[in-house]
Amino acid sequence: MKEGLLKTENLSKSFSNGGTLQHVLKNIDLELYRGDFTVIMGASGAGKSTLLYALSGMDTPTLGTITFGNEVLSGRSSDGLAVFRRRHCGFVFQQIYLIDGMSVMDNVLAAGLLVNRNKKALLKRARELFFKVDIPEETWGKFPAQLSGGEAQRVGIVRALINSPEILFADEPTGALNSKTGLDVLDTLTAFHEQGQSVVMVTHDMRSARRGNRILYLKDGTVLGECNLGPYVHGSEERHRKLRSFLAEMGW
Amino acid sequence: MAEPILGRRGTVKKRLLFISLLLLFAVEAAAFGAVFFQRQEVPQDTVAVNEVLQSAQTGWRYGTVGGSDVDGSEMNAGNGRNAAHGLDYVVLDLEGAVLYRSGPGFNESINEAIRHRDTILDVKVDGRIVGKLIVYNDSADAFREDKKRTLLFLAGSTLGLCLVCSGYFFWLERTVLRPFQKLKRFAEYVAGGNLDIPLEMDRNNLFGAFTESFDLMRSELKRARLAKAKADAEKKELIAKLSHDIKTPVASIKAAAEVGGALVEKNRFSDEMCWKGRERLQENYKQIVQKADQIDALITNLFTATLEELSRLSVTPKDMENRELSVILENADYMRCARISDIPECLLYADRLRLQQVFDNLFANAYKYALGTPKDRASSGAERQHLKEGVHLGIEVTAEREFDFLTVIVEDFGGGVGEEELPLLKEKFKRGKNAENRSGAGLGLYISDYFMKEMGGELAVENGRLGLKVSVKIPLSGRCVHETADMFMK
Repeated sequence: MKEGLLKTENLSKSFSNGGTLQHVLKNIDLELYRGDFTVIMGASGAGKSTLLYALSGMDTPTLGTITFGNEVLSGRSSDGLAVFRRRHCGFVFQQIYLIDGMSVMDNVLAAGLLVNRNKKALLKRARELFFKVDIPEETWGKFPAQLSGGEAQRVGIVRALINSPEILFADEPTGALNSKTGLDVLDTLTAFHEQGQSVVMVTHDMRSARRGNRILYLKDGTVLGECNLGPYVHGSEERHRKLRSFLAEMGW
Repeated sequence: MAEPILGRRGTVKKRLLFISLLLLFAVEAAAFGAVFFQRQEVPQDTVAVNEVLQSAQTGWRYGTVGGSDVDGSEMNAGNGRNAAHGLDYVVLDLEGAVLYRSGPGFNESINEAIRHRDTILDVKVDGRIVGKLIVYNDSADAFREDKKRTLLFLAGSTLGLCLVCSGYFFWLERTVLRPFQKLKRFAEYVAGGNLDIPLEMDRNNLFGAFTESFDLMRSELKRARLAKAKADAEKKELIAKLSHDIKTPVASIKAAAEVGGALVEKNRFSDEMCWKGRERLQENYKQIVQKADQIDALITNLFTATLEELSRLSVTPKDMENRELSVILENADYMRCARISDIPECLLYADRLRLQQVFDNLFANAYKYALGTPKDRASSGAERQHLKEGVHLGIEVTAEREFDFLTVIVEDFGGGVGEEELPLLKEKFKRGKNAENRSGAGLGLYISDYFMKEMGGELAVENGRLGLKVSVKIPLSGRCVHETADMFMK
């Protein structure tokens, strides 16, 4: 039995659009489990990113509840949510948002210092992570402008994981990368997942989606279906076929 | 830009017919001319005949006519007339034997020659008739030749005429008859009330513009009919809505009057007012109540009249937040008699207006049957007591999520109805036995049920612990998609 991590009940999100309410998420009941690589798929405008932001506490839902462990997130103030995010969530975006004026290492440490004052421990953690994502020591002192897209994204992953978050949220992490560097980033994410990291990733790319063990398909603000790729070996034809038939069924 | 080209093509078409007809007439005229003027009698060339006679006689004299060789070579050698005169002839002796023939196939006896109108001359040698010369009459051949030619001419031109005519008829059929048949069918459609089928016509044909106006007529007719239907529907909806809306204030007036009457009755022994004054006041209240009942009955009639069209009342569900439902419930409970529990946060998929009507009906029922008449309450003083304490009087409203629905339960404590009556309550014009002395048409639950079904929800009536329990299942937004997906997967 999997351990529940994040749970939503009747999660709905509405935006006011020129006077009319637009309901982007509708009554979503969802439970995310520890150790899962959950992939949220769906067509543009289905509410994927909105769901990710609501789940991660970046945005407050209009209706419904989100519980993280025993904590109820919905109804918290934005400061409260920020604290929650720092402690429990890591984020990887399509745009990497590294701070230009700081070196790679400083970028990572700055994120860590928000939560952890122990610089020594942070440095140790950062080193470990940099080795894991295959960024050599000479790169640590470079500035973001000197990095390639793939390197920058891997630094982004290190920054996201520096505080050992319970969930890593990734919004189209390979969206801005070419296919080779994109693959590297996906491999990195897969490797962290295999070491027990819970990941939630939004994508509309099938190649990225294949990395997840649980695929949710969103349509018109509601989870239309889900598919479990867990039993199939990574990279196997069977896994690919299973995902493809699931997506075909969902009308992808 | 296209217009002049099409126009030119049109005139070319028209001219084509004209030109081909003209051509054919010319051909025919020529044929007739040929028949009439060419066939002139060609007189027999007497000179040539005489020459032939002369040569025959000469031949006779020299003995070159007759002998074993009857055919032409010898004669040719004699004088070669055959070629010179172009005449065919036969020379016979007096016994009728052929002495000479210019070619085969001519009449070789006098009888045959007479029948054929050949020229028969006597061959005289030294004043004595020695034989007969039959000059072949070739006019019949010439005539036959002429006839053949004329026939050929006529057949050709007739064929041409036939072709042109059939072409013309085909064109007529296509441009005139077929459009007319189409028009006929179209008229039948329109007469049958089907105004959706447009009349498609080629604007370039003879009737294009003409038929276009027919189609215009159809579309105008359709628009007018739609507008009328819409206006009718709106009117009926308005009446239904208004009559329902009017009922509520009338009920309040009636309730107020009843309370007033009861209060006057209760204060019978106080001396604030003289006996007569009280009597009149009570009479007035009674009258108000009566008139309110009357108005209520009239409205019910009006409502029933429009109800037949009610099935066309539109229900358009939209996404709706749970707090809107709270507002609806508060509006419905205008007497503030209900205890309404919190509604779980969710996004509903319902028609706000219709949902309001549903709960209006349910609360009106609960007021009517479970709370007793206002008179009873006034006399017991319970109402004031309850209002003061803020305690609910007898309606319990709870809401909870059940799978893909939010179920709102409205329960009163009025004792409910007999089990056997339960299935009938949702029927049109059906009322429970306890309804006898209460106003109403037996429509509230029927309409509410209809509205809920239209929204994809449900309305269920059952007996609760102490009274009637009505469950309203309102669908949650986004859940209907699930169902279709499930169906797809099956």
